[in-house]
Amino acid sequence: MLQYVLAGLALGAIYAIASASLVVTYASSGVFNFAFGAMAFSVARFYYFLHTENGWPITAAAAVSLGMFAPALGALLYWLLFRHLLLRPPLIKIVATIGVSVALPPAVDLVFGKLPNTTAPGLAPVPLTVFHPFGATVTMDQVVNYLGLAVVLVVGVTVLRFTDAGLRVRAMVDSAALSGLSGVNASRVSLGVWAATTTLAGLAGILVAPTAGLSTDGMTYLMAAAFAAVVAARLTNLPAAVLAALAMGVFTTVVQRYLDPESALSAQIVPSIPFGFMLLFLLYYALRGRVRDEPAGGALDRAIRVEDGGAARTAPRAATPAGSPHGHRSLPTVAKAAGLVAVAALPLVLDEYWAGLAVTGLALSLVLLSYTLATGEGGMIWLCQITFAGLGALTAAELATTYGWHPLAAVAAGALPVVVLGVVIGLLTLKLGDLYVALVTLTFGLLVQTLVFTRDRFYNYGQGVAMPRPGFAEDDRVFAYLTLAAFALIALFIVNFRRSTAGLAMAAVRWSEDGARTVGLSIVRTKLLVSAMAACIAAVGGGFLAMNAQAAMLDTYNVFGGLVWLAVLVTIGSRSPVAALVAGLGFHFLPGVFQTHLPSAWAEVPVLLFGVGAIMVAKDPDGVLAMHARQLRGLVDRWARHRPAASPAPLAATASASEPTGGERP
Amino acid sequence: MSTTTTLLSVHGLEVRYGPALALSGVSFDVPEKGALAVLGANGAGKSTLARTLSGLVPPVAGRVAFAGRDITAASPSAVRRAGLVHLPEGRGVFPGLTVHENLRMALTAAGAERAGAMDRAFTIFPVLAERRRQRAGTLSGGEQQMLGLARALMISPRLVIADELSLGLAPTLVDVVFESLERARAAGAAIIMIEQFAHRALEFADRCLVLQRGTVAWSGPAGAAGDEVLRHYLGAAETA
Ligand SMILES: Nc1ncnc2c1ncn2[C@@H]1O[C@H](COP(=O)(O)OP(=O)(O)OP(=O)(O)O)[C@@H](O)[C@H]1O
Ligand SMILES: [Mg+2]
Repeated sequence: MLQYVLAGLALGAIYAIASASLVVTYASSGVFNFAFGAMAFSVARFYYFLHTENGWPITAAAAVSLGMFAPALGALLYWLLFRHLLLRPPLIKIVATIGVSVALPPAVDLVFGKLPNTTAPGLAPVPLTVFHPFGATVTMDQVVNYLGLAVVLVVGVTVLRFTDAGLRVRAMVDSAALSGLSGVNASRVSLGVWAATTTLAGLAGILVAPTAGLSTDGMTYLMAAAFAAVVAARLTNLPAAVLAALAMGVFTTVVQRYLDPESALSAQIVPSIPFGFMLLFLLYYALRGRVRDEPAGGALDRAIRVEDGGAARTAPRAATPAGSPHGHRSLPTVAKAAGLVAVAALPLVLDEYWAGLAVTGLALSLVLLSYTLATGEGGMIWLCQITFAGLGALTAAELATTYGWHPLAAVAAGALPVVVLGVVIGLLTLKLGDLYVALVTLTFGLLVQTLVFTRDRFYNYGQGVAMPRPGFAEDDRVFAYLTLAAFALIALFIVNFRRSTAGLAMAAVRWSEDGARTVGLSIVRTKLLVSAMAACIAAVGGGFLAMNAQAAMLDTYNVFGGLVWLAVLVTIGSRSPVAALVAGLGFHFLPGVFQTHLPSAWAEVPVLLFGVGAIMVAKDPDGVLAMHARQLRGLVDRWARHRPAASPAPLAATASASEPTGGERP
Repeated sequence: MSTTTTLLSVHGLEVRYGPALALSGVSFDVPEKGALAVLGANGAGKSTLARTLSGLVPPVAGRVAFAGRDITAASPSAVRRAGLVHLPEGRGVFPGLTVHENLRMALTAAGAERAGAMDRAFTIFPVLAERRRQRAGTLSGGEQQMLGLARALMISPRLVIADELSLGLAPTLVDVVFESLERARAAGAAIIMIEQFAHRALEFADRCLVLQRGTVAWSGPAGAAGDEVLRHYLGAAETA
């Protein structure tokens, strides 16, 4: 037993360091760092580069990686990105950090080279010394983990409690506005915080590498597990996060004592423990009532915050306060129609390879429409659309292959159970703040992925479950038109929904939930409707992806892949179906271009570009499409502006006659 | 215009919260060691004016110069470092920090004044000394106001903006607030006082500015702002 507890504490220590890093960044900057895994990977990779590849001694390599490289990386990311996120809505914050998580690993690979295998040493000399306290076995790696956590805690507490810098950080957490009034330079403090928390991320990454592997997957899993501790700590309670992380580590290893290590069940249960933890806490919060997730801030911070309403969930107007009223910012109808025609012509003019990519892209844009509805229209940050797609694909494939249903009927029927799931999740997250909604859906996705998608029967060595195309659409071209038709149908539906009563109600909810409540709109009904429809669209899209690939291949539906989809979509624009089309096609065409026309060393570049695009939304949250639409419109306006507009009435009222005298008019 | 040098000069200030216009065309000057009372009904834009001057809310148009420097687009910390202290409306303390830490925060930009500042705060408000280890969030409302006030008095700022410091205080504590601001003034600070007790504010100040729906409705010497002005702009109830 002691053996398991000690191993659990070693694992928990890494989780604790990671969750401490996440909590400190969130509490002080309001950014929930989805790039944590990528940052941990980068620092660990740099350590590997120095220590293993260049033969530096452990201490020197660790000192340079953690003392120089990590802080510099944190400072660089702060300067490039995080400082722009301060006043951005939650979706943009999430997408921008996802952008970093997508762009950073390929950038690191480009510089340091891709690793052929992921085994890496930690901070303990290899071969590992082994100790035997009280009959249990403890390796030097585990001892280093304990020491690492101890050092982090001692240094962290000392800095936060007893130094001026720590006082400033705590003051910023309490009230950023008031600390500004006290003369605290917010950007300098934030810079320091990002440098310090990146160092923590790097430390966690180096420590976890020997067991989880030096790979983005390993680091991403570490991050997702640490999320659980952070959620248990309600995002901002540092001691609670550390304790929860340790408890989770111990629980994870102790459970293994009671599981048959050979069984398939334990291979699924063990990795899903953190997500089970997280789901329990989130359900508890959800059932207890409304949970907000804005970093607390003080009364003053709330007083100066501009209630930007819902449009701002995806597109804040704070930057252009005097700008136009909230008009519809999309492409002119002509451009839309031209776009559709152009896409429709694609399968005719392209050769087989490109036509294949086009079809895949089209099927993907079907799934992306689900984000357009849920996130763009509904303002709900759902991160599990890809899981819905996977479940839809899986069910459809089972129905079609095992029970011999017609593929289209199977796709339609496969969406039904997913709709039920969507409604349940919608109900559970009704009263949660944006970030919690994102986390609940992410956790749900991770759970389904570890518990369902990895089942041998479904996974089938990566082959998945076979999924035939309908007999009339065996040919890629015909199938492309079938997909395009489905896309047009759903897009039309979304556009009409936007104009319908329910759609307007949704806009009202997005604008101000409380306002909509006073107007008497049924928020619950509207939100559930959107949840159901979004889940349905995702599942149907998943079915099309499966028909396209002729199998429901479950690797396609990795939750973190879904984050990239979302990031690409938001980069192009989250509110228009055209953007979904462009994003879906671009997602497959761009890598195609690089693959066929450029040396293979460049293969990672498209991913990097997607990441960089998502990072850019921090500066233009409306998305690329809206940006170009705006430029286009500006051009048209300038061209049309021949007559001068009537001058607006002067704002200031004229002095009234009964005004008291004695004062000086300003 | 008076012959004394101008400390703060505000010209054509316009402020919006999103699309909502909160201030427009606000202009006035405050001389060194001057005292300006800013009056106005609820929602007139008084607090907004204070927040804009201290850099918390950026103006859309207009210009603010302080001590000869343009601070229109300056950050709150830069404004504070230039010597302007804004005591915000409500409880201007860090609730999660102890009393002592709150006072340490007030010295962030203090520089050479640090020495003895802490003792000064505790001499002015002995109650704070007793509670120095207590979290500010657990102090009574009045004690929190004292703590907020101490943050301005323990140093020597050039301009103090006091936003409704006496709100909700017992009469004796209101006296303390006015005495404290008088003391700051005697020490060489200029004061912009936003107050609900219009008559006391006018006694204290030498100039007066009345805001109405975001614009300057009246301005002039404090002595000239008689009952008629107050009743007209603030309504009888507000002139207590
Ligand atoms: N954060 C904000 N977002 C949107 N509008 C705001 C915000 N803060 C203030 N306002 C609006 O700006 C106007 C001026 O508010 P302000 O707080 O400056 O008034 P005030 O004169 O200080 O009132 P009071 O006497 O009640 O303190 C009001 O109409 C208010 O509703
Ligand atoms: Mg006010």
